[in-house]
Amino acid sequence: MKRKPKILVIDDDVDLVAVMKGTLESKTYEVVVAYNGKEGLEKAKNEKPDLILLDIMMPVMDGFNFAEQFGKDPSLAKIPVLALTSFSDSLGQPFPFQVAEYLRKPLKPKELIAKVEEHLKRKGL
Amino acid sequence: MVLKKIDNVIPKEQTAREQPPEERALLFRLGVYVRMRWLVVLGIIGCTLVASQVFDIGFPTLPVYIICAVIALYNLLFFRWTQSLQKEEAGLVVKKAQTQGNIQILVDLVALTVLLHYTGGIENPFIFLYLAHTIAASIVLPQRQAYILATLAIFMITLVVFLEYADAIPHINLEGFASPDRYKQFSRVVGILFAVATLVYGCTYVVAAVSGELRRRQREMVRLRDQLLEKRTMELEQASNEIAKLEDERRRFARFLGVVAHDLQSPLVATQSFISYILDGFTGTITDGQRDLLERGVRRIDGLLTLITDLLDIPRIETGQIAREMREIALNEVVKRSLEGLDNLAQQKGLTLKVELPESTPKVNGASRRLQQVITNLVSNAINYTNEGTVLVRVVDSDNEVLVEVIDSGIGILPEDLPRLFNDFFRGSNVGSKGTGLGLSISKRIVEAHGGRIWAESPASETKKGSRFAFTIPKKLMAAPEEKRK
Repeated sequence: MKRKPKILVIDDDVDLVAVMKGTLESKTYEVVVAYNGKEGLEKAKNEKPDLILLDIMMPVMDGFNFAEQFGKDPSLAKIPVLALTSFSDSLGQPFPFQVAEYLRKPLKPKELIAKVEEHLKRKGL
Repeated sequence: MVLKKIDNVIPKEQTAREQPPEERALLFRLGVYVRMRWLVVLGIIGCTLVASQVFDIGFPTLPVYIICAVIALYNLLFFRWTQSLQKEEAGLVVKKAQTQGNIQILVDLVALTVLLHYTGGIENPFIFLYLAHTIAASIVLPQRQAYILATLAIFMITLVVFLEYADAIPHINLEGFASPDRYKQFSRVVGILFAVATLVYGCTYVVAAVSGELRRRQREMVRLRDQLLEKRTMELEQASNEIAKLEDERRRFARFLGVVAHDLQSPLVATQSFISYILDGFTGTITDGQRDLLERGVRRIDGLLTLITDLLDIPRIETGQIAREMREIALNEVVKRSLEGLDNLAQQKGLTLKVELPESTPKVNGASRRLQQVITNLVSNAINYTNEGTVLVRVVDSDNEVLVEVIDSGIGILPEDLPRLFNDFFRGSNVGSKGTGLGLSISKRIVEAHGGRIWAESPASETKKGSRFAFTIPKKLMAAPEEKRK
């Protein structure tokens, strides 16, 4: 049997992470979570996920800093990152590396699953 | 940017030393003396030739030519010397130049005295040439030194005349010009010497007084200028510190707003997500009544999220965010992006959304995301308050500005509402309580931060119905005055 695709969710909102984890697991994905950018970076290196869902506004190393560190690591470069932007996040500054897609919060579960499937399919998973 | 500019204005270190006016004047005068001396040499040779050849005055000319050669020789040395002074260290120049002035005049006095001795002594009318030397001395030297040189000049001429009178040295008679016994006429000798001395001291007094006053004024001017420069430098430093402090405060405030936005919106966004899980059936089927209430809840949260965004936008715009986001943008693209999604909305209401753009896209200096926000706001208002007909978005390009118009065939605006339309929290009396009442006031702030104007009319003058909102964005807002300065 094919292995389960692994998804890393990085978001500081504990409740939201729980719900996203539940949704994705119901679709037979393996889900790893991190609650800030720093933790997310470690997990990205150790777990080698197939896809990352990244919240841009977080305390303790926000999405921008995460992306900067992340972009420097060539072993991580192939992992698609879906950036979750909050309602009015200022995207005045350019994001430090290529994001596969920006998804605006609040994210409906059906949309979330559709987007995740779409990007995994592009990777052939 | 601003800080850098101010740094440039403050002269931290001068690369080439600037010559103070007093030095410049002194060196200039020494240069003039050297040039004058060449003329004097030619003059002496000319006079000697004329005197001996034309007027047939008899006196030995060889010593005169030898003296001329000596003068020319030391003048060459002085020429070199003045040039080397130009490269002298600051502070030493004035002293060294004055020393040189002293020596130049002293040597000249000796040369003149010797020359005079060989050309008739008291008989020679050029005895008054001492005046020229004392005037020159009084111009470049401090008063005391000028008086000393004047006294020295009088002493030298008196010495020569009396040595001749006493026959201690031979007297040379200008044959055919003055009677040979003139140097022996005591009253005449004393009279001429007295006249020379009086004129020498008189000239020294007048010239030294005037040039001393000029030097004092020059110094005063330099002092005032330095004082002013120092004051300016201090003011600039203060201003740049002030700017740095304000910039720091602004950054802290922006960070604060960021945290506020995040903390206020995150729970709402999370709540909306949870509700959407229920609505999407992830927790089992729900009744229509439950769906209705949950959907109302989502809409209310949407309204609150918009309000928070709008409220936080105001301080962001007012602390100059727009100026920092400005770059050259193509307005047609901004309009197209603003309308994404809105044509669906118009279609749902059965409205036609018409867009008229100039063929070549106008370029303006602007914050594209913010202008997009203005256009989206105006067009979605137009769609909201129009039940049938069309909403027209038009961009008109002219020389100095670009005009963006949104014309609808909707319910229009009550005349009493028109003046208050762009006030914070204003909602039209005829539209119920849709929206935060901040959309137009924020649009106004955005347009004005671009240096433009925004206004509304109802009914639209063109169609005699609905309303027309228009705003202008000047072209090249920031660049124009700078280019003029260049």
